[in-house]
Amino acid sequence: MKILLKPAKTLSATFLLASAIFAQPALANGPIGEHVNHLQANLKTYSEDVEWMVSKVDTLVSDYEKKGAKAVNTDDLIEYWESVKFHSAIETNYVPVYASIWQGLYGIKMAIDNKKPASEVRLQQQAMNNALWQGLGAVKLAAQFQQKGLLKSVKATATKEMTQSATIDEIKHKLDRVVAKYAERLSDEATSIVHDTYLHLFEGVEGTLIEQDANLVEVLEKDFNVTLPQAISGNKTVNQVREVVVDMQTKLTRAQTLIEKAEKSRKDVF
Amino acid sequence: MERRTFIQGLAALGVAGALPLSLSRAFAADIANPVSVDTLPKLKGSLTLYLGRGEGGLYENVLQAIQKKNPDLDLAIRRGPTAALANTIVAEAKAGVKRADLFWAVDSGAIGLVTDAGLAKPMPSDLSAQLQPQFRYDEWAPVTGRIRTLPFNTERLTKEQIPTSIMEIADSDLSIGWAPAYASFQSFVTAMRILEGDDKTAKWLKKVQKRSKTYAGELGVVMGVERGEVDIGFANHYYTLRLKSGKPDAKLDLAFTEQDAGCLVNASGILSLSDDPLATNFMRYLLSVEVQSYLASEAYEIPLVNGIKQPDGLPKLTSISPPKIDLTQLADLRPTIDLMRSSGVL
Repeated sequence: MKILLKPAKTLSATFLLASAIFAQPALANGPIGEHVNHLQANLKTYSEDVEWMVSKVDTLVSDYEKKGAKAVNTDDLIEYWESVKFHSAIETNYVPVYASIWQGLYGIKMAIDNKKPASEVRLQQQAMNNALWQGLGAVKLAAQFQQKGLLKSVKATATKEMTQSATIDEIKHKLDRVVAKYAERLSDEATSIVHDTYLHLFEGVEGTLIEQDANLVEVLEKDFNVTLPQAISGNKTVNQVREVVVDMQTKLTRAQTLIEKAEKSRKDVF
Repeated sequence: MERRTFIQGLAALGVAGALPLSLSRAFAADIANPVSVDTLPKLKGSLTLYLGRGEGGLYENVLQAIQKKNPDLDLAIRRGPTAALANTIVAEAKAGVKRADLFWAVDSGAIGLVTDAGLAKPMPSDLSAQLQPQFRYDEWAPVTGRIRTLPFNTERLTKEQIPTSIMEIADSDLSIGWAPAYASFQSFVTAMRILEGDDKTAKWLKKVQKRSKTYAGELGVVMGVERGEVDIGFANHYYTLRLKSGKPDAKLDLAFTEQDAGCLVNASGILSLSDDPLATNFMRYLLSVEVQSYLASEAYEIPLVNGIKQPDGLPKLTSISPPKIDLTQLADLRPTIDLMRSSGVL
């Protein structure tokens, strides 16, 4: 997932963003304003939000660099981030970057709280800045899709058709949210998403999948019920939890291929 | 039809002693022949269906096929967890709002929540008559069934070594796989509470817990049995059939208890919240030969309409004796969850 820390300017990143945008969630957690359904009209605000965040964090880090840990309150970092509209714009459109922003924020916070050298804090700051700018790129792209009517409104109820293949997309997206919530230091919520995703989504497809590849189901069962919950409860780093998720998403991509193949060969109802 | 002949007919279906209707009414009932969609009325107009998630995309495939066959049907679908949708329907009714015309639920417990609230419309008798007699209800139509089973590892056990009483299993020396947090398991415990009482059920739970290994879901239970982690498990029938389909050499077979909660047949079902005949006609499609056969062959669910072939790998229903229970009684999970918590199982 190194790509997440690079500027979102390459073609491959754009492709990745486009596919992620089309996998937009029907419902995101937290107070999400109506502005997320009018991205284009709010792009200026989002740009200002990012510039403001970058500036405020830089000021805080500079204060730490010059005056030490007592001169700053690292809880302000969280407040800065939670106060901007851009927060929910990226949360509803590209959760992997949302997770990286939280990871960067807590990277800065923990480095300062543990009185690490300023150079180490700056590294975390750079990672967060990269994630913020990449997030802005993702939101701009999402705004274009939204203008063309290619992006569905964020709704509070699940009304879209959930084919088995679409269910796999939804599972992958939920796993991204697991990383995001873990990066946000909300371990209980992250575990709850894992549990609900298994019971309400994976359960719905594993019946078909087990007919195609019983071993793959077995491995994913272990991932959902042992590997990922243990990575979360064992206080692994965000990157380690992300590695588990990325590995699961790779397996789920294979599952999706198998399920689509099975669907094609499935007999017609009438 | 002679009364004796009809009782024998019920016995042949494995249903005698499992009748939700009064005996006199059941004996009077005729079993209608299954109906093809080609003979059903075309659906024209607007309907809103609340669809409880459960079978991945297979219910979706059915709905798409119905829409394709009826281009003048404007079908709006709201999807969500079954229990949540049932609560929504009740809450909407209390608020004086009616958004759903139909509710297709993956388990009958959720159906019970809605029928208990007096919101479901009566079932037309000709539609009920297509269902096997033990699956006829006044206000809803079971669509397909699933049976509680005991998957067992064939390298460790023979079928004859497994007790045929669910209560005796607690006193056996078998190691057991279970998924107590799983909705189907909780419906099974609810059935046990209804049939055996809370005290016996609590004792059963505590005894089984001592020799059980817990899994998150029932496919996990079945896979655990196949790997030999446990001797037997508690699970719905289709997990075993599907695993054996994907892994034909799986060391796995199914055993059944007799006339107790261990072989409960639960059902998905549909009810109408509307007086519009369009809603009733929509229900007819779900009970058609084509849809029943599709769900049996593709989802391994048990067809509940008379004369439809069962999924491959499942013993004939004549060899299974499910308990006598009104499935809508399974709606109230709260006492079951309380009991499971006080027994230390949840």
